Amino acid sequence: MWHTATLLAGLLLSGWSATAQSTEAPTPHPWYVPDHAVLQTGGGIGMITAGAGYSPGSHPHRFDTDVLVGYVPARYTGHRAFAIFTVKATYSPFSVRLAERWRLLPLSVGGLVNYTPAAQINRNSADKYGYRGYYWWTPTLRAGAFLGSRVALGLPRATGGKREVSLYYELGTNDLYVVSYLPNHKGLSLGQILTLGVGAKVDL
Amino acid sequence: MVTTSCDLLEFSPNDTRAPTSERDLTRKNLAALAQRPVPTSGDTLRFVFTSDSQRYYDDVPPLVASINQQRGLAMVLVGGDISDFGTAREMRWVNDEFKKLNVPYLTVVGNHDLTQNGREAYQKIFGPLNYTFTHAGTRFILVNTNGREYEFNGHVPDVPWLQQQLADTVGVQRQVVMAHVPPDDGDFDASVMPAYTSALEQAPRLVLHLTGHNDKFYVRQPVPGRVTYISGYSVAQRNYLLLTLWGRHQYKLETISY
Repeated sequence: MWHTATLLAGLLLSGWSATAQSTEAPTPHPWYVPDHAVLQTGGGIGMITAGAGYSPGSHPHRFDTDVLVGYVPARYTGHRAFAIFTVKATYSPFSVRLAERWRLLPLSVGGLVNYTPAAQINRNSADKYGYRGYYWWTPTLRAGAFLGSRVALGLPRATGGKREVSLYYELGTNDLYVVSYLPNHKGLSLGQILTLGVGAKVDL
Repeated sequence: MVTTSCDLLEFSPNDTRAPTSERDLTRKNLAALAQRPVPTSGDTLRFVFTSDSQRYYDDVPPLVASINQQRGLAMVLVGGDISDFGTAREMRWVNDEFKKLNVPYLTVVGNHDLTQNGREAYQKIFGPLNYTFTHAGTRFILVNTNGREYEFNGHVPDVPWLQQQLADTVGVQRQVVMAHVPPDDGDFDASVMPAYTSALEQAPRLVLHLTGHNDKFYVRQPVPGRVTYISGYSVAQRNYLLLTLWGRHQYKLETISY
């Protein structure tokens, strides 16, 4: 837990100072260069998860689409490390100016799909219990949804324009936890099916 | 009930993380059982058999409340499929309720507990897939019979291991085997079935063979005067079995509704 926090803080700070000292010109990116880089922990998509994404539209981070690769070390999987591949979309309808360079995106809603190809995950192959339609879910593909917030700091670029560095959290869940909770309002509480993800984004 | 922040920060639904208090439950529950005096007199032993709690979380608290009203109970046996998707979180949800039992509970692994990363999660949260313990002169043998999860590789259940445990009768008046999949079920490895049942039938002190899996209660004794095969109720069926053993082979079976 502390290792994760320290690592995340370290990576964030190095990204922050690189951003602050940046002198590169804000020339428009070619389409294939992402708009931002992402670093996250938790949220069911890795202990350390890195990625990149685009923010289509004129408002930065109003709508983000990200592709991420997560890592879960072997000590937390019981056998071998996991790689988790995630596609995520986040929409933040509101932006509140907090101070000259600070703004708050009080609400973010989003969804994700992730894939864990680890060999040790026992697959529900069709010849297993197919005769009953028994194992109906896919063990390596998960869908998730989340709500969260984000705080962003705008840093001026040397040649005009600005780049944002933001911190966010997401409270979410996944399809398996939802189907566990829905018929069991007495036996389970909403808090028991929640996951937390915390991360940072830096504009490129 | 709100999970702690470390729980919330989940790396994957397939990760096996759990606080120390929610790991190695088999070892801890066996230690708790060993410290308790047998609550019944003479050579009598009473325990509950329930099974297949998988995704029936609403039915677990009434089960625990009902079991806690039983008198003279030594322990509760759970016949597998504690989880539905083999995740550590599901196993911990069930333990959150079962830890409210007045007596220790012991589990055997079910096929659902072996889905996804369940093989690792079960071993982290509960413990070994095959194990034994002796209580009140009764040797309990808990064996993984979920052959289909191993593509019927001819090694599940582990018959040589079972034979060894059945042969070890020092200080043991009677034996009970608990497994998840019954030997006559399509999910049991047919290539291992003859050796498995013959090992059971040849064990002179074996009284009961308890299984879950098919949500169907039955009592069968294929060889007269030998082993009794009991298929128990699932948690969702709102029934459980109260078993009382005494002497070498005597037992009483009661069905309790909740």
